Amino acid sequence: MNEHDDVICQVRESFSGLRMDTRVEDVFARSRARQRRHLAGLTATAAASGAAAVALTLTLGPAPAHSGNPAAASTAPARTGQSSSGPVTLAAYSVTSGPGHSTTLTLRKGALLDPAALRADLARHGIPAKVTVGTFCRSTPGAPGGLGQVLQPSTLPDGSDVMVINGPAIPAGTELSIGYFSSYVRMALIEDGAPLSCGSASGQPAAHVTPSGTPIRKTSGQ
Amino acid sequence: MVAPGGKWIGRLTRLQDMGYEQEEFAEFYRASKDSCLKAVTAVAGDRYLAEELVAEAYARAWTSWVKVRKHAAPRAWVVRTALNLGVSWWRRRREVPLADHDAAIPADTGGGVDPVLIAALRRLPARQREVLALRIFLDLDTETTAKALGIAPGTVMAHLSRAVAALRREVPPAGSSTSGTSTSTMSTREAIR
Repeated sequence: MNEHDDVICQVRESFSGLRMDTRVEDVFARSRARQRRHLAGLTATAAASGAAAVALTLTLGPAPAHSGNPAAASTAPARTGQSSSGPVTLAAYSVTSGPGHSTTLTLRKGALLDPAALRADLARHGIPAKVTVGTFCRSTPGAPGGLGQVLQPSTLPDGSDVMVINGPAIPAGTELSIGYFSSYVRMALIEDGAPLSCGSASGQPAAHVTPSGTPIRKTSGQ
Repeated sequence: MVAPGGKWIGRLTRLQDMGYEQEEFAEFYRASKDSCLKAVTAVAGDRYLAEELVAEAYARAWTSWVKVRKHAAPRAWVVRTALNLGVSWWRRRREVPLADHDAAIPADTGGGVDPVLIAALRRLPARQREVLALRIFLDLDTETTAKALGIAPGTVMAHLSRAVAALRREVPPAGSSTSGTSTSTMSTREAIR
């Protein structure tokens, strides 16, 4: 037997318990979502091109009253700022202001989420959050209470998870922990600076929002 | 001249083809998903991130199934796509400085795989990990591995040899009940064929 056999065998044996949990139906849904987003992107590009063409026609049409100062510049969309209430929309999620003082986070299935971008967008809406993909972090030994006052989850017909987040209700010294998985989202409050335990397979989530819209499930600590 | 029913027959045929392709893809998915997950986990070092990447890669494989089903090694296509997605993901993540909380030690990112082995794999150069993953978990021969990674067959053999040697140095041997008793053993002679 070759001298390397035992190493190769050991690697194979060590990985033998790994199983892909994602169902093939979820893969089809992910593919359809990608195609929809692609189509929406093409439509938006076409619309933007049309609008640009109209603006160009108007600019090049009758002589402007103030030459050298195209009117189109004043109608350009403003860049999202610190206190902007305009929607921030990316492929995997959207963050919008409202209803009321709340912020609405929509997570779409079937897209690769950029956790740093979502975290930054939530911060712009005044919501401190730790966002992780494929893993979920909780404070140790237990999660702070009050998640029920902060979060109101629901599900759209296309399977997207919608979370209305009441930012002002987030207790001082805590932030949201959002764990994004292929078929569900986990959320909890965590204490600033507290030790965190991150993982997926072990432990009961503090809140579990499934694509089918299962209501928030509180742990015994809440 | 086209018969009046020709258009409907054409539509029905297309629907039948779509159903057949969907079945075919589903079968491919069921047969290959675990080995692709193992291969990507071995390279990425994180089982949960790997599942996301592999799921996305399969979604793209379904979108391009007409092309992927004709590929010389469709499983290698999925793994390669997942690894490319992983590179993009890490690149985006690096662009934002991590806050204190992100220094938390993730628990069991290997999904139950021996953490010593996961750590040793992470220390290998990326190319060695890729070769090891394709050879061990996808059972690809040297030629196909070389094509999948865009490198020479000789380079594949060199990477595999170095990777195995490094793991031998860093990972303690498993118990005697594991070593040499597996029915799925692949000898290095088979591996370097």
